Parts: sequence; structure tokens; C-alpha cells
Amino acid sequence: MTAPSLSPAGPATTGPARPVPRPMRRRRGGLRSERLAPLVLLAPAVLVIVGLRLWPLVLGINFSFTGDGDRDGQAVGFDNYLTLLGDPLFRTALRNVGLLVLLLPVAVAVPGLLATFIYLKVPGHRVHRGVYFFPAVLSPVIVGAIFTLLLAFDGPVNALLGLAGLGPVDWLGDPDVAIFAVVGVHVWATFGMGLVVFLAGFATLDRSLLDAAEVDGASLAQRIRHVVVPGLSRTIQFVFVTTMIGLLTSMFGLVYVMTSGGPEGSTYLPEYYVWIQQGQFGQPALASAASTALFLIMLVVGLAQVAVLRRSGRED
Amino acid sequence: MTGTRLTRWVVAIPMALLALATVYPLVFTANVAMKTRREYVLDRFSPAGSLSFDNVVRAWTSVGMSRYFLNSVVVVTCSVALLLLLGSMAGFVLARLRFRGSSVLFLGVLAALFIPFQVIMVPLARIMADTGLLDTYPGLVLAYVAQFLPFTIFLLTSYYSTVPAEIVDAARIDGNSVYGVYWRIMLPIGTPALLSVGVLNALFCWNDVLISLLVMPSAEHRTLMVGVTSLRGQYSDDIPTFASGVLIAAVPVLLVYLFLQRQIADGVTAGSTKG
Repeated sequence: MTAPSLSPAGPATTGPARPVPRPMRRRRGGLRSERLAPLVLLAPAVLVIVGLRLWPLVLGINFSFTGDGDRDGQAVGFDNYLTLLGDPLFRTALRNVGLLVLLLPVAVAVPGLLATFIYLKVPGHRVHRGVYFFPAVLSPVIVGAIFTLLLAFDGPVNALLGLAGLGPVDWLGDPDVAIFAVVGVHVWATFGMGLVVFLAGFATLDRSLLDAAEVDGASLAQRIRHVVVPGLSRTIQFVFVTTMIGLLTSMFGLVYVMTSGGPEGSTYLPEYYVWIQQGQFGQPALASAASTALFLIMLVVGLAQVAVLRRSGRED
Repeated sequence: MTGTRLTRWVVAIPMALLALATVYPLVFTANVAMKTRREYVLDRFSPAGSLSFDNVVRAWTSVGMSRYFLNSVVVVTCSVALLLLLGSMAGFVLARLRFRGSSVLFLGVLAALFIPFQVIMVPLARIMADTGLLDTYPGLVLAYVAQFLPFTIFLLTSYYSTVPAEIVDAARIDGNSVYGVYWRIMLPIGTPALLSVGVLNALFCWNDVLISLLVMPSAEHRTLMVGVTSLRGQYSDDIPTFASGVLIAAVPVLLVYLFLQRQIADGVTAGSTKG
């Protein structure tokens, strides 16, 4: 449930609360230890980040161009990437990423709409915020474990379908259904996250604009379309990006617990593929190539999103 | 006007159902955990005959959940303490002190924020193996610190940027060193932000399974979440014990959520509205 923040803050562009960055240099010259203090305070953090995040990134990209097994350490050019493209499991993983990207607008619209209704004080709105958010703090492992019980063939979900006169569905055993079940559970577990972010956005929205629109006779749909959406463009952008990052990087626990990539490899995602190649099949170089591919996918999707959203933001 | 009120009720009912659907899975699991195996097989939906914690006790004692629980507590505590210490020191410097290269460093932290763990997991495992940190507590703690430090620094930098310069200046005039300003002014003033980012980090670390699987693979070092995944295979025919294990892993998180909802939401929403 990582929530990377996107707002520019800190020394690069200072916020309004801090007029002029005033260097702390009261004592002229200062002691040597004083001058070194910033570096001393920063050093541990910089060491950890460079050593265990930036360096592995470089290492991994480099690693993806070397061989596995007999060819360990040898440069093999794009061989690993060609192997990936030929691997049906990786192709399934890519197809599933495509599915996730297609479902992204739904995963954003659901919390967006719910937040709108809560903001407009639908009956029960006080309770909803807290209740909707709570699955978001649970581990994907716990959520996955709970849903293996719920989605079992003789579990509650099928019992509910039975009450409605529908036949039972083999949620986690049918290759055509399983990926939707897993993604559905992910959305169930995380929509509260987007909801809370949307509500924070609403807190900055000018209420009088909405009231004016209502007085002018705008319907609910019109008010959402013309007042809420433009007013929250930055929040919507934030939720889009964080939801996408969540879809692409935090479903490992769910897949691991619910389906282990099955049935017939139908629930493979790139992150699960990386883990299997590294941990089970002992092919770290191939795994690195898959990692790098995942990174590129995220960059491309992310940049495309920002571009699209920026253009739509300008029209309003 | 009546139209609007009608719309509200039309929306309210599905929303209430959704709230029910959000809570029910956990209620179901808790109920299963209270049942005997026989009760579960006969009817999995009826309320448990008696409020019996036998399964929970069994999961805690004989299944090894207590060991996993302790592992998690140790690792999460150390990780969060280290994250807050390193994060607040770096955040203070980046927000308050100007020196050659400080904005480059800040950009470096920002860039590190966007590196997903999946992209660096293979080389990280190799680095850990090469340095003898693989399958050790310090190794996992370091992995967590590395994973969540950029986010921590980012949040604390924005927070410290809002501390009025006058407070810092006054402390300097009173004769505090840079370290004194950090220790006596910034740390205490930052308590709300530290609490928020600390709770969030604790949740991230407690809930993680991928990093833990990768860095601490051996059975006796398992963290709680890895322990839950291992229950699945072992207890597939003893669902009540399995549900009890899940419950043991979920309860601490639910308690934290109950008491610190506000702080969690603050951390999640930081940076989401206008900068």
C-alpha cells in the first residue's frame, strides 16, 4: 500500500509557508563540526538509498543483459528479452497488465463516485468513510486468505449466487474467471485508499460553487461533470497514478495466496513472474529482464496518463 | 429538491450494502475461527455454537504463529525506529539547510520514490547474499528501511518546510548547534508528522510479504505474513485453525486502525491536493 506523494515540496520548490529559505549560518564561519553537520545528518539516509535502491536498479538493468546458468556473467545482448517475448507465461502476464490498465478507470471512478456521494452527505455518510477504508490497511496476504474462504466452491459468495438462483462459479479454478476474481478482490481491498484521497481533495473544493450550481438547477450528474471534476483535477491525477502503481506492484500477495499464478498460469502478473524466475527457477538474469520490462511499462503508462490528464485538464 | 432527496436514498442503499460487503468477510472469518471443525463442515454460515478460542490458541501455540508474530514485532519495531531516525535527520537537512548539492540530493530521493521493489528485488537479493545479510534480521530491517525511506524523507521534508524560520533562528541565537536544533526543536515539533509516517511505515512493514519472502526465507525467521501463507498449504483441511491464524495476523492492524485512523489517512493523503 505504498502511497508515493507527487506534490513538489522541499527545497527544490518551497511551499508558501516558507517565504525565503534562510540559511542557518548565524555564527560567522562556524566550527568545523557545524559545517559538516548537514552531511553527517544526511549521510546514513543517502548511503541506504544509494546502496540499496539506486545501485540495485543500475545493477539490475546491467544484469538483464547477461546470461543465466552456464552463461552466468557473460554478455548476451537482448537474449533475455527475446526469451521473455517467447514465454507464454510472460505473455499472459503482459496481457493481464493490459487488462489492469483497461480496468484502471473503473478502479478510479468507483472511489471517486463514492467520495462524491459521501461529500454530498448521503444518508450514512459518517459511517461509510471509516468502513470503506479499513480493508485498505489489511495485508494483501490476509485479504487473499480471507477470500480463498469466501470464493471457495461451497463458500458464501456462491451461496449468495445460489439464493439469486444462479449456478455456482469456480472463482479461483476457472482460467477465464480467476484473474477477474483476483483483480476484483484487489479493488475491493483498495478502493478505500482512493476514497480517502478524494475526500481530502473535496476538503479543498469551494463549496459555494457547488451550491451555486444547485441553485441554478444543475442535476447531480451535471454538478459532478462541471464542478467536481475540474476542481479536483490534481487529486484525480494523483489517484490515477497511485492506483496504477498499486495495480502493477502490490498484487503479489494476493496472487501468491489466492492462485499461485494458476489455474494454467492465467493469473500471472509481471511481479509474480519475476519472483518465480528468481526464486523457483533460479534464473536471476531472466528475472531482471522481466523487472526492467515492468519498470518500462510503468514509466510508459505513467507518462501517457500524465499527458492525457494534462490535456483534458487544459480543456476545462 | 425532492428529486435530489430521492437520488440520495437511491444511492444510499447500494452504499450501505457495499459497507456490509466490506465488513462481512472479516466477520465471516472471525466466526469460522470460533467454530469447531465439525461445526464448520456441517454449516459454515451459522454463528459459532460457543465463543471458543481453542483454534486461536492452537494456532498461536502449536502452529508457530507466536514465533512468526515475535519475528514481525522485532523487525517492524527496528525498521520503524530506524526509518524515523534517518528520515527525520535527512528531512530536517533537506528542508532547512542549504548547501552545495542539496537540491540534487532531494531530486535523488524523489527519483528513488518511483523505483518499485519488483524492479530491484533480484539485484537486492544478490547484494544481501554477498554481504552476508540474507536471512538475517538486520538484512530484513535494512531492506524495509531502504524501501520506505524515500517516502518517509519526502513527507518529513514537506512537514519541516512548514516550521516557521523564526523558531529555528531563535534556537540558534540561544546557542544551539545544528544538532541541537535537530534534537531539541525539530524532533519534538515534528511529533504529529512522525506519528503519522511511523504508523504508515509500521503498516507497510507488518503487511509486507514479498520483501520478507525474498530476504528472510528460512522457516524459523518467517514473519507473520509469510507464516499465514504457509498455513494455507498445511491446514487446508482444518479451515478453523487457518482462519484463526489469519485473525491473529489481522487483529493488531485492526486495533491500530481503530485508534489511529486519522494519522493513517493523513499519511495516505499527503501530497494529494494542491501542493
